[in-house]
Amino acid sequence: MKEALVDVQGVWKRFGRQWVLRDLSLGVEPGEVVALLGPNGVGKTTLLRVIATLIRPQRGTVRLFGKPARALEVERGWIGLVANPPAFYRHLSGEENLEQALALAGRPIGRGRVLEAMERVGLPPGRAVAAYSSGMKKRLALARTLLAGPRLLLLDEPETALDSGGRKELTRVIGEVAREGAVVLATHDRGFAAEVASRSFAMGAEG
Amino acid sequence: MLALRDLRLEWRGRAGLLSAFSFIAVVLFIMGIAFGPDEANLRRAGPGVLWVALAFAGSMLASRAWALEVENETLDDLLLTPGSREWIYVGKLLFLWLLMIVMGAFLLVLVAAWFYLPLSSWPQLFITLVLGGTGYTVISAFYAGLTVRLRARDVLLYLLVFPMILPVVLAAVKATLGIAFGAEFSEILSWWKLLGVFDVIYLTLCTMLFPGVIEG
Repeated sequence: MKEALVDVQGVWKRFGRQWVLRDLSLGVEPGEVVALLGPNGVGKTTLLRVIATLIRPQRGTVRLFGKPARALEVERGWIGLVANPPAFYRHLSGEENLEQALALAGRPIGRGRVLEAMERVGLPPGRAVAAYSSGMKKRLALARTLLAGPRLLLLDEPETALDSGGRKELTRVIGEVAREGAVVLATHDRGFAAEVASRSFAMGAEG
Repeated sequence: MLALRDLRLEWRGRAGLLSAFSFIAVVLFIMGIAFGPDEANLRRAGPGVLWVALAFAGSMLASRAWALEVENETLDDLLLTPGSREWIYVGKLLFLWLLMIVMGAFLLVLVAAWFYLPLSSWPQLFITLVLGGTGYTVISAFYAGLTVRLRARDVLLYLLVFPMILPVVLAAVKATLGIAFGAEFSEILSWWKLLGVFDVIYLTLCTMLFPGVIEG
C-alpha cells in the first residue's frame, strides 16, 4: 500500500465562534487528483490552507509526505499552492515574479526556462503583473507550477477566469503533477471535476 | 535573498520610503521651530529629536516591510518557502535594518545641521545608531509580522512597539547626549553595552517565537 501524501485526521477548525471544519478526515495518495466539492462557506479553501500548513487546526492531525505538517521544512517547497486569485508582486513583471519565487525557494533558474514556461502558457514577457487580467494571472500561476514541479499541488477554483486554451493547459499541468505526485483542488464546477479528478470529496451539504 | 527582493520591490514602489523621508523632514522642521532659535536649547533637544523621529519613521517602515506582502496578497507564498520560518523573520528584519540605517544616517546629518550635533564624533554616533537601530528593528519587525493579518495593524503596531522599545530609545538618547556633550567614554560605553544586551536578548526571543505567531 502506498504511503499517503496527505493524511488529514479528525481536523476541527474554527474562525471566531464559527466552526468551519468539523472532524474532517481525508487521505490522498500519490497519483490521485481529488476534487473538493461543496457550496460556498463549507470550508474547501480552509481545508486547502490547512493542508498547505498555512493555518493550524484547533484539533486533529495533518501529515504530509509522511511527516507531521508542523515538522516540515525542506518539504514545504514540494507544495504548490494556486490561490484564487493567484498572488504575485504587482510592480514586477511576470518573468521577474517567477524568477524571484524560484530563487526564494532555493531553486534559481535561468531567464530562458522562465520565458519558455511563459510561452507555453501563452503569456508575453515584459509586462508588469499589475497590467494582467485574472486569466493571465491564472496562466502565470500555471507557469510557476510548471517550473517549480511540486509533488503536491493545491488548487483553489483553478478553472475560473480561464478561457478554453487555459483550461486545456490547466488539465495538462494537473496530469503532469499527478504522474508522480498528487493534486487536491477545490471547485464548484462538477463538469471540470469529473474531467480532471480521479476522486471527488463532498463537503457540507454536497451529495 | 528575501531582503534583496524587498529592497527591489520598495525601490519600484517607493511609497514607503518617500513617506518615511517626508515624515522625518516634517518632524525635524516642526521640532526645529519649536525648540529654536536658541543654540543651547537645540543642542539639548537634538538627541531626543533624532530618536523620536527615527522611532516613528521606523514604525512606518516596519509596517511597510509586511505591507508589501499584504498589498500583493503574497504572504501565503512566502510562508510556503522551504526551510524554517525563522528565516522569513530574519529576511524582513534585514530589509528593515538596512532601511533604518540608511534613514538614520540621513537623519544624523539633518539633525547635526539643525540641532548642532557634533558630526566630528560620527564614528560614535554611527555605533549608537547601529546598536539602537538594531534593537528597534528587531522589535518592530516582530510585531509588524504579528499584526500583519489584522485590519487595525497600523494602530496596534504603535501600541505594541512603543512600550517595548522604551529601553532602546532611552539608552540611545542617553548615549547620543553623552556624545553631544563630550561625556566620559566609559559612560557612553555603558549605554552601548545596555543596547547590545537588549539587541541580543530580543533578537533571540523574537526569532524563536516568530514561527508560532505568523501562522493563521
